[in-house]
Amino acid sequence: MNRHWHNHAPSPTDSWVRRLPATWKLGVTLTLILVTVLAPPAGWLPWFVTMFLFLLVIIAASGISLWFLLQRLLLLLPFVLGVVVVNALAPTGRANWLAIALKSSLCLLTVMLTANTTPFSELVRALQTLRVPALLITTITLMHRYLFVLRDEAERMRRARASRTFTPGRRFQWQALSSVIGQLFVRASERAERIYDAMCARGWKSR
Amino acid sequence: MHIPDGFLDGKTAAVAGVISCAGVGLALRQVRRELPPRKVPLLGLSAAFLFAAQMVNFPVAGGTSGHLVGGALVAALLGPGAAVVVVTTVLIVQCFLFQDGGVLALGANVFNMAIVNSVAGFVIFKTMRRVVPGKRGRVAAMAFAGWCATVLAAICCAGQLAWSGTIAWSAAFPAMTLVHMLIGLGEGVISALVLLAVERARPDLVAAGPHAAGGQRGGEFLGYGLLAALGVALFVAPFACAWPDGLDAVAEKLGFAHKALAPLVTAPAADYRMPGIHWALGATAVAGAIGTLVVFTGSLLLGRWLVPSSSHHESPLAQPRA
Amino acid sequence: MNALEISHLHYRYHDGTEALRGVSFRVLPGECIALLGPNGSGKSTLLLHLNGLLPENPSGDGAVKIFGTPLAAANLAAIRRQVGLVFQDPDDQLFCPTVAEDVAFGPQQLGLGAPAEIAARVKKSLAQVGLAGFEARATHHLSHGEKRRACLAGVLACEPKLLVLDEPTSDLDPRGRREFKAMLRTLPATKLIATHDLELAVELCARTIILDHGEIIADGRTVELLADEKLMLAHGLERPHILHHLHPH
Repeated sequence: MNRHWHNHAPSPTDSWVRRLPATWKLGVTLTLILVTVLAPPAGWLPWFVTMFLFLLVIIAASGISLWFLLQRLLLLLPFVLGVVVVNALAPTGRANWLAIALKSSLCLLTVMLTANTTPFSELVRALQTLRVPALLITTITLMHRYLFVLRDEAERMRRARASRTFTPGRRFQWQALSSVIGQLFVRASERAERIYDAMCARGWKSR
Repeated sequence: MHIPDGFLDGKTAAVAGVISCAGVGLALRQVRRELPPRKVPLLGLSAAFLFAAQMVNFPVAGGTSGHLVGGALVAALLGPGAAVVVVTTVLIVQCFLFQDGGVLALGANVFNMAIVNSVAGFVIFKTMRRVVPGKRGRVAAMAFAGWCATVLAAICCAGQLAWSGTIAWSAAFPAMTLVHMLIGLGEGVISALVLLAVERARPDLVAAGPHAAGGQRGGEFLGYGLLAALGVALFVAPFACAWPDGLDAVAEKLGFAHKALAPLVTAPAADYRMPGIHWALGATAVAGAIGTLVVFTGSLLLGRWLVPSSSHHESPLAQPRA
Repeated sequence: MNALEISHLHYRYHDGTEALRGVSFRVLPGECIALLGPNGSGKSTLLLHLNGLLPENPSGDGAVKIFGTPLAAANLAAIRRQVGLVFQDPDDQLFCPTVAEDVAFGPQQLGLGAPAEIAARVKKSLAQVGLAGFEARATHHLSHGEKRRACLAGVLACEPKLLVLDEPTSDLDPRGRREFKAMLRTLPATKLIATHDLELAVELCARTIILDHGEIIADGRTVELLADEKLMLAHGLERPHILHHLHPH
C-alpha cells in the first residue's frame, strides 16, 4: 500500500473514455473481470488475446501512460512468483501459473483503466446507483475526502517527532510512531465531531 | 493480504462475496441502530485514519519495515459492527482508487480483513479483558487480539487460495500461518501501543467503546459472528481433516506414542500422501498451538512492561488529578 | 427587533470549567461587530451557541434570541436558516467531495427549492465569493484561501440574515486577507466576527466586544476600545498599528 501511494496517476485527462458514464464503465469492468476469471482452460488463450487488444485500444484512446500501467503491473509479480514457487514445491495439478499471471494482469489493467479515467466521486455515485447502502456511501465519501488531510497530519506529526528524537533504536521509534498514530485517532475523532457540528449547522437532520 | 483478481476461482469468489455481503449488511444494520448520529462522521474519519495509519512505517530489521493493519484495534475502539464497516470502506477505496486487491476478490478480502479480523479481534479482546482486569489487561488483551486476528485472517486466506486450486493447502497453510504469526507480533504490539496512546490522551474515547458497561447488543452481532464462523468452516474445514494425519506424522517423528492418537485420526484425504507434506501441516498446527500460548504469555508481559503498577488500577474514567 | 439578543448566557464544559459566565449583549440588524479576546476566552464556545450547536439540549429559556425567536430544540431548523456559521477550520466544514455539492448541501438540507433553483443559488454564491466556475473542483485540491471562500459560499447559499464567522482570516496570506475583507464588506447581512485580526476589526467593524474568561469586558466603538492600550494589553490583545495612521474624520 505504501509503495502505491506515489504511483497514483494524476487527475484524469480529458478523453472520450473519461466522459463515458461511470455506471457503464463499472459494469463493463465487472463483466470483463468476471469473464476473464471464469474463462475455461480450453478457451482462455483466444479470450486473453482479444481482451488484451481491446484494452490496448482503450489505453490509446484514454491517453494514460503505458509506462505507468506497466509499472503497476510489475507489483503483481511477487504474487505470481509466490504461486510459481509454491506450485513447484507442492503441486496442486490444477494451477496454471501462466494463466493466473495473465488473468490477474488483464483484470488489473481493466480496473486501472476505469479508475484512472473516472473521478472517484463519479465512481461512488455509480455505486450509489447500484444500491449500495447509504451509510456505506457516506463513509466512503468522507473517507476519500479526509484521506489526504489525515495523511498530511500524520506526516507532519511524524516529522515533528523525528525532529525531536535523538535516541536511536527501534524501541523508541515504535513508541514514538505509535503515539503519532494514537494522536491521529484522537484528532480524527475530534474532527469528526466538528464535521457533525458543521453538518448540523447547515441543516443536516440525523435520521 | 490483499488478494488480486485471478488468484481465486469463480466459486470461491462467489461464496466469499455472498457471505461478505450478508455480513457487512448485518454490521451496517447494527451500526445504524446503535451509533448515535453524532458519531456517524466518525466512521468515515476512522476509515481515513486507518488508511493514514497504515502508511506509517515501523522499522523492523535490516531495512525492512512493517505497518499496522488495524482491524482488531478499530474493533476495540469502536465496536465490531463499526469496525466491519470501517475496514470494508478502506478495502473498497483501496481496491478502486489504488487497485490494491482485486474487484471480484473483494468478497474474500472483506471476509478476511474486515469480518474475521474485526469479529475475532473483538471477541478475543473482550474475553481476555474479563480474564485479566485493569489497564494492563486492556493492553495485553489488545496485543493478543491483534495477533490472533492477523493469524486467523491469514488462515482463511490460505483456505481460499487452496479452495481455488491456486496453491495447495499443504503449502498455503504453513506458509501463510507461519509468516503471519511473525507479522502478527508487530500488529499486536503496535495495536497495544496505539490503544495506550489513545487512552492517555482521551480515556473517554476508549471507555466509550464497546466495553462500556451496559448496552444491548442486538442479533446482528450474532448474525455476522456466525457468518464469520461459517466462512472459516467453509474455507478451512475441508482441509483440516488432514491435520490429524499431520499430527500423527509429527508424533511419530518425535517418538511419541502415536498410537494414542489413533482414535482421533480420521481417514486421510486422497491428495495428502507425501510424508513431507504431512510433516509440514502437523508441524504448523503444533507451532500454532505453541505460538498461541507463547504470544498469550508475551501479551501479559507486555501489559506489565508498558503499564507501571501505579496506573494499573485506575479506572479509565478517573478525573485527572488537578 | 434585535438581530441577536444574548441574556445572561452561562455554559460549563463537561469537566466543570466555566466557559461563559453570564454573557449579555445585543446586536442590531445590519451591524458588523468584532468579537475579540485572547485564546481560551470563550469566543468559539459563544459562537456555537448562536445556532444551537450548544448547549446540547437547548431549553428555550430565552438566553439566546435570534430575530426575536428564543432558541429551542423545536425551532433549530428555522434558526439555522437564519444564522450562517462559518467555522474556524475550513476542512471541517467542506465535507463534500466537490465544491458544487458542498455549497448545495445547505440549501438541499433546508429544502430550499428544486434542483435547478439550488444550482442557481450555488452559482450565485460562488460568484459572490469570487469562485465562479469552481463547481466541479475537488474540495481537497483547493488552496487554503479558496477553501475559506468555498465555506463562505456554502453558508451564503442559504441566504442567512445573521452571518457569524470564527477567525475567517487566520492562515491567509496578505493578499488573501485583503480579498476576503473586501468580500465581507460587500455582504449586507448582519455580521459577528470572532477574530485575532485587529486590522479587520478596525476596517470592517464599527463596534467591538471584548471577551475574556467567559465574561464581556468591554463593548463599544472599535476605534475607541482598540486605542485603549491598557485595556487591550490587560486582556491578551494589543493596540493595532493601523490606529496610528487613522485620522478622525
